[in-house]
Amino acid sequence: MADAAQPDFEPEIIVFACHYCAYAAADLAGVMRLDYPSSIRIIKLPCTGKLEVIHLLRAIEAGADGVYAAGCLEGECHYLKGNLWARQRVNHVKKLLTEMGLEPERVEMYNMSSAMGVRFAEVANEFTARIKELGPNPVKRKGVSPYAAAREAASEIALPEDTDTVADQPNRPLAPLATTKEG
Amino acid sequence: MTAIRLQRCKLGEPDERGRRRPEPIPGAFFEIPCETVIFAVGQAIVGDFAQGLAGVGLEGDQVKTDDSTLATGRPGVFAGGDASPKGPLTAIEAIAAGRKGAASVHNYLRGEQLVSLWSNPLPEARPDDAEVKKVTRQERSPMPEHPGAERRRNWVEVREGYTEEQAIAEAKRCLQCAVCSECMECARICPPKALIHEERDSELDLEVGAVVLATGYDAYDPGSKGEYGYRRYPNVLSALEYERMLSASGPTIGEVKRPSDGAHPHNVAFIQCVGSRDQKHDYCSSVCCIYANKQAMLTTDHVPDCSPDVFLMDMRAQGKGFDLFYQRAVDRGVNFIRSRPSAIKEDPLTKDLLINWEDEQGVLHQNRYDMVVLSVGLEPARKGQEAAGRLGIALNRHGFCDLKEFDPLQSSREGVFVIGPFSEPKDIPDSVAQGSAAAARVMAQLADSRGTLTAEPVYPPERDVSDEEPRVGVFVCHCGSNIASVVDVKDVAEHAAKLPGVQCSTDTTYVCANDSLQLIREKIAEHDLNRVVVASCTPRTHEPIFQSTLREAGLNPFLFEMANIRDQDSWVHKKEPDKATAKARDLVRMSVARARLLAPLSKIDVPLTHSALVIGGGIAGMTAAGSLGDMGYEVHLVERASQLGGRVLQVGRTIRGNDPARILATLEQRLIDNPNIHIYLDSHLADFHGFVGNFSSVIEDKDGRRTPVDHGVIIVAIGAREERVDLYQLDRRPGVVTEMDLERMLKEHDPRVTEAGSVGFVLCAGSLEGDHPYCSRVCCQHGVKNAIELKERNPSRPVYVWFKEMRTFGLLEEYYTRARDLGVVFIRYANGNRPQVSSEGPLTISYHETALNRDVSLPLDLLVLAVPSVGAEGSVDLSKLLKVPLQRDSFFQEAHVKLRPVDCASEGIFICGAAHYPKSIDETISQAYAAAGRAAALLAKQVIKAGGVVAEVDQDRCAACLTCVRVCPYSVPVIDSEVKKARIEPATCQGCGVCVSECPVKAITLHHYTDAQILAKEEALFMEVS
Amino acid sequence: MITAERKPFDKILGLVGESKKVLVAGCDTCVAVCLTGGEKEAEILASELRIEAGMNGRETEVEHTSAIRQCEWEYLDLISDKVDQADVVVSLACGIGIQSMAEKFATKLVVPGVDTNMLGMPLEHAVWLERCGACGECVLGETAGVCPVVRCSKSLMNGPCGGSHEGKCEVKTPEGEEIDCAWHLIWERLKAQGREDLMFVDRPPKNWSKGSSGGPRKMVRVEARPV
Repeated sequence: MADAAQPDFEPEIIVFACHYCAYAAADLAGVMRLDYPSSIRIIKLPCTGKLEVIHLLRAIEAGADGVYAAGCLEGECHYLKGNLWARQRVNHVKKLLTEMGLEPERVEMYNMSSAMGVRFAEVANEFTARIKELGPNPVKRKGVSPYAAAREAASEIALPEDTDTVADQPNRPLAPLATTKEG
Repeated sequence: MTAIRLQRCKLGEPDERGRRRPEPIPGAFFEIPCETVIFAVGQAIVGDFAQGLAGVGLEGDQVKTDDSTLATGRPGVFAGGDASPKGPLTAIEAIAAGRKGAASVHNYLRGEQLVSLWSNPLPEARPDDAEVKKVTRQERSPMPEHPGAERRRNWVEVREGYTEEQAIAEAKRCLQCAVCSECMECARICPPKALIHEERDSELDLEVGAVVLATGYDAYDPGSKGEYGYRRYPNVLSALEYERMLSASGPTIGEVKRPSDGAHPHNVAFIQCVGSRDQKHDYCSSVCCIYANKQAMLTTDHVPDCSPDVFLMDMRAQGKGFDLFYQRAVDRGVNFIRSRPSAIKEDPLTKDLLINWEDEQGVLHQNRYDMVVLSVGLEPARKGQEAAGRLGIALNRHGFCDLKEFDPLQSSREGVFVIGPFSEPKDIPDSVAQGSAAAARVMAQLADSRGTLTAEPVYPPERDVSDEEPRVGVFVCHCGSNIASVVDVKDVAEHAAKLPGVQCSTDTTYVCANDSLQLIREKIAEHDLNRVVVASCTPRTHEPIFQSTLREAGLNPFLFEMANIRDQDSWVHKKEPDKATAKARDLVRMSVARARLLAPLSKIDVPLTHSALVIGGGIAGMTAAGSLGDMGYEVHLVERASQLGGRVLQVGRTIRGNDPARILATLEQRLIDNPNIHIYLDSHLADFHGFVGNFSSVIEDKDGRRTPVDHGVIIVAIGAREERVDLYQLDRRPGVVTEMDLERMLKEHDPRVTEAGSVGFVLCAGSLEGDHPYCSRVCCQHGVKNAIELKERNPSRPVYVWFKEMRTFGLLEEYYTRARDLGVVFIRYANGNRPQVSSEGPLTISYHETALNRDVSLPLDLLVLAVPSVGAEGSVDLSKLLKVPLQRDSFFQEAHVKLRPVDCASEGIFICGAAHYPKSIDETISQAYAAAGRAAALLAKQVIKAGGVVAEVDQDRCAACLTCVRVCPYSVPVIDSEVKKARIEPATCQGCGVCVSECPVKAITLHHYTDAQILAKEEALFMEVS
Repeated sequence: MITAERKPFDKILGLVGESKKVLVAGCDTCVAVCLTGGEKEAEILASELRIEAGMNGRETEVEHTSAIRQCEWEYLDLISDKVDQADVVVSLACGIGIQSMAEKFATKLVVPGVDTNMLGMPLEHAVWLERCGACGECVLGETAGVCPVVRCSKSLMNGPCGGSHEGKCEVKTPEGEEIDCAWHLIWERLKAQGREDLMFVDRPPKNWSKGSSGGPRKMVRVEARPV
């Protein structure tokens, strides 16, 4: 189960934002010079409909303390229904997390239009506060990823010797990436 | 030596140069004892050098030169400094002369004209008396001097110079008449040398085939309305000033502060119609209601406990979606008060403002506000009017461009088109659409020369990087101080240099500037880069610039990735620079990880069918078809009824008094005469397939005959219809009719109209409530038009108009004024107190009269209802056939309300006319041209580029389970009947990725957003870099 | 097609036990089409197992793979390297696939990650209804295309029982939803086809030995055997 909330804990949060609405709202929040926690890192997708269950799970695996998808307002998805698929998948992941013993609140779906810069900042604030409350991700990547065997020689990062305990590691050493199909 | 003997002189008469020379006084000698005499000698040039030089002449002791170019009479020989006609001068002048001369030599050697940079003096700036009177007189700071007693013993300078305080004080004395002191520091510091002081107005001759005037508007200066106290009371602002105050890049950096004391205001009032709908402006400025809504809502964002009051007469929210916006403002706590305050008073102690106002019941109130914003109207741009004068274009009585109702873009001079607020106060979506409309008119006018002046950009051949290891170049931008003031850019660049695959990593001031783009090209060549990462602002605006740079360097444009470290980092984490820097490192690391996995993607050239299908033969469809036909394209025009004309056929006269039948007849003839245009009457669209540039449709007529048609674009112009709501006894009593019924009755001289003793109109019958919470835009003007018509025909006949909001926007306002002048009675009502119509017996209408504060019943012979407009019959089916969405208000949804107002999100499909949203005839014509213009921009291409970010099926893995076929919102994937596997046509795939994420065997890839690329970003975030 | 439902996570954990190297093997035919056990689901389950292990401090390596069809030897050859490296294989295939894996990799621990449940028809996307009981003696020609073996709760052969009420069966699904009475459907369809007489044919009791109640069955296409 999750650790109790630690006051100095700086969450690391991944956000999947759709190009047409949420990413634009994030840009607008910037133009408006709003303030929100620096805990979030945005990954742009053409549509939240592209977001898969595995992406959310891999984020948790990799060490994200929380992950959320931000898409268009329901009924206004640029690609018509992608955000509805995303919501469905987020709900499924919540179920899976519960099955595994993790808090379903670590994953979430938010909707906003490209004009809602204030909402983007609001959500970033809300979610960061939520994750701070829940505490850090109890899953830490340890040592070598199973994909190491399929690793390409292109990577120059040496596989780390992992002897640190979970709590000591702010940035888990990560073995380089698997490349499948295109890459 | 013991003394010097001197003779006293007196000043003689002035010589021919006006100088008085000293004349010795005879016998007036005197001596001064001294030991040393120092002669201060003058200078003169030794002029004999000029004797051998033909063309170089002397004037007295000096060389004759042109004062500004320093040229002598002999080409190539210049003179200045001590040799100049002004005679020996100081070192400063000598240096100046050296520079001037060098510039002239430069021009001379390049064979260019010897134009002096300094020959056009800058206009002299003098402060006027009023400004000078405001200045407090200050004496010059005395220059401290070394006391004489000290000075005698050394060579120390007499003047000590000012201290810093004195220098600043002295500098503050400057009146700053011209602001610019020509110190040229700005020009010197500007890296791309963009500031050229010497630039002057110049005249250019351009040969053009068409002119489009978009000279805009001037905001009304509310200082003319002295009673509002603008410029006298510091806390009264104009809306434009308030807009700047609300802006994050404005003078208060987005903080709402009262000018008098800098405090946050808790009570703000907005006064509408300042400079509109008044004696000098008998028109409505159209945009102020909505911008005041916006400003009021932003005020509640910035000052959370503030509930602004908006004083208005009518809420003119007639644009698409604007009533919803108005409702949001109401829900947010903005108070809308129906009252037009005549004056503002100031409390001199607090600088608060007091507004006296009268409510609709006649009760007087006084409110106190911290700040008041005046919603100023739009006046025709003065410069625009001057331009119009020079171009010989007529203006109307309001000073805007005079335009014809049925040709609303064409000014009084052939070939000169007018768009935007110079034609009439107009909001952004309408202005943008007008821009496209003007483009269509120009394209038709210049159809013969299409393509003759265009040039294709030539790019070097693309390098094949498929066998290469990823070699990434990283460029981190300072963006001036936008990024660098928060993020340690150099640190980020250094961090990036250590990442796997990165060959070079640099930082630069403005990465989007030409010199930085050049640097990128150079680094690509130098380090053999095959991937580029730029860490700067948002790819939404800047990605195309860098992609173009990659192409110019021979790289596929998809090998590019951007990290957003400005809008999504430095701008939002200003108070935490360390964390912002850490985040920037993370984002760059994530981008580099993805970049390594990016693959080149190609767009395929798909040929297109250069013809158009227009559905709907009303005025919108006819105009669009005519415009495209004029440009030389083939057009298929499909109309459901047995004749062209649509709803306009039912209109007898427009509000401006014009007869639409004439324009329809002319338009129809033009269509018939054009051999490119095929008209299908009694027909509808039975089938529709394909993708942009390559559509195939089937047109079916009433006898079932089917005609297949191939076309490149489609324009939807199916119009709208009235919804006969069950209100006010419509269709239950014969005396109650709709506006379109009335049009027909007027045309047919129906006695129910001609003999009606009293007529009532109920506007907004069913609109702004219930199922139709939106505005149908044209009903107010229709109602006013017919009220005027009925009153003019029989001035003694009572005519009443009940309305919720009177939306005679723009230049239509004058008709509202006219109606009232004629004696039409206008009565406002709200949703909570609708008029009641008797269900039996004589037709009467009862309503609550606020002036008398009692219920009143009026007998009517005829009651006309303005019922809501809804999407035309068949719009639901058409929406499904074309796969373009309808909005909740039943009209077609455009791709973007401001930037793409006539495009559908699906490429190649356009909308215009009432199918987009109810609108008047002139607006319809404009929008139809706009759709034609947008369509023509596509048709003008030889090929269409398709592909890129699209999904692709690996047919070896495909299980043919039909999941992708079922989930795609655009129905793109099909199971290929030969190979029995799914196939996605790259030209139609929209790139959303839903099929990719649903495919149970992961057989589909979305190019440029592959799983590996997404996971790479996730993992790179948590990667540790030593 | 054959449909299966993923086993509850804790059951799978129980089956995996203390194994240090786990391979999740999907199948890209039936279970993929019913969105339960394809490569996509295999990757997801692998991730879940890693997360759970990580949470509880266990050093478990989890990989995933997928065979085009787990019941074909040739396709299993393609994944045999991965199977060799694992301590336990969680197969997401239907029971057939799981057993093929277990036979081919006889010394490996192969456990089911799914419960194979029925031969189902996709009514709509992502919704399946049981339609066939693999009884070995199909009577659909006489019952207007409605299978009385699985669509009738009692597998009656000669018309509805007394529990048929207004076209619905007296038995409800475990979730409490109503199901149609199969014989009511059969009657309506036969009427629409004008073949009511088939309703009143006396059908003898089914030879259940032709179905799965008769012991394991075998089928051979003699004419297609390799020569």
